[in-house]
Amino acid sequence: MNFEAIMDYLPQLLRGLETTLELTFASLFSGLALALLFTLILVLRFKPLEWLVKTQILLFTGTPLLVQIFLIYYGPTQFKGLQESFLWPLLSEPWFCALLALALNSAAYSTQLFKGAVDAVPVGDWEAALALGMSKRQALTRIILPHAIRRALPAYGNEMILVMKGTSLVSTITLMDLMGYADRLNARTYDTLTVFALAGLIYLIMTGIMTLIIRLMEKKALAFSQ
Amino acid sequence: MAVLFFNATLMTLGLALSSLILGLILASVFALLELGRFRTLRYLTTTLVMVLRGLPEILVVFFIYFGSSHAIFMLTDEYVEVSPFTAGTIALGLIYGAYASQTLRGALMAVHKGQLESAKALGINARRSFIKIVLPQALRHALPGLGNQWLVLLKDTALVALIGTTELLHQAQMLSSKTFEPFTWYSVAAVIYLIITIISQRLLNNMKAKASQHERVVTA
Repeated sequence: MNFEAIMDYLPQLLRGLETTLELTFASLFSGLALALLFTLILVLRFKPLEWLVKTQILLFTGTPLLVQIFLIYYGPTQFKGLQESFLWPLLSEPWFCALLALALNSAAYSTQLFKGAVDAVPVGDWEAALALGMSKRQALTRIILPHAIRRALPAYGNEMILVMKGTSLVSTITLMDLMGYADRLNARTYDTLTVFALAGLIYLIMTGIMTLIIRLMEKKALAFSQ
Repeated sequence: MAVLFFNATLMTLGLALSSLILGLILASVFALLELGRFRTLRYLTTTLVMVLRGLPEILVVFFIYFGSSHAIFMLTDEYVEVSPFTAGTIALGLIYGAYASQTLRGALMAVHKGQLESAKALGINARRSFIKIVLPQALRHALPGLGNQWLVLLKDTALVALIGTTELLHQAQMLSSKTFEPFTWYSVAAVIYLIITIISQRLLNNMKAKASQHERVVTA
């Protein structure tokens, strides 16, 4: 492991950083939006939709993320009808498939977290809100959800890091993220230990920065309780 | 086909179980080192656990698989290939060990101090009170966490497909490229993972119920 090699590898690896970061934030954002919608459906008990959300959670938390990515990217090629449909430009795009898999995966785990947090809000909060003349929906969106989401924040922080680590799997469907460049560089140079150690270091720095951001967010969101 | 998937399922289960055993051993070692009295070892273990938890799992698998051959080559000038199964077990065991050590450490610390003091007052020596009094209670605290990490480990075995062990995902990959029916085969793999997960959850719930049957429910 010499300095010159590191200086040679580093810029090549950093080229993948953009894809990794873009995909992380896009998946987190769409996953969060879906998770909030799903939580609402579960808490308000919209009958047919509730059943759908529960099935989605079972499917996406019960199978490996890599299988989900393969199923979404390679699966549609089996059906002629899909290839001629208007969806094909999207489904043949690895970036979109990766985003879809990561977002749905994150949505499933996040919904579980949020639903747990909502269930953990004391019944008295509901009763007080209803006693003040709020409707069930008002109580939920104004009192219960803001409180529950704050409580779920530490666990959601973990989920954010899991999604960032999860993006490393998209190199298997031809996307060139950080892991993709590390893999290519390894195949070209056979300098395995240096290449993967460098890539690992970059991932660790990202995890570290994310942990710090999450801690700041927690401090802000839970400031009232300290 | 059924035979192929049956064998692949056995491979997935074998991989998961051997990683679990290695992982539990590593977790105990990590937890004891982190709670131990040697400061350098404590810091080293904390750093190792932090690194393992901060890295993408696939990177750890690749690092162990490709890196071990590379390291052996550098040390001995001989090219030795480490089998994907061994490399996968070591990588997944290390990851499981890192997460589980935190659960174990928390569980050990959650056992009330008074328990050890009473044992000491009763004249039970340190080793015996650890094994007979602290450990059973700690394991009860740790069970839910260890169980969740088993479910994560089960899903992480799919990563070993990428280094060429014929477990469920790799089997599905091979059949997909042969028959051009990727949706069918990846779905079959997904369903088998789902079944194993659901059975695991059932077993874990039974274990939890059994472990807590002695607990008194205290009502205010």
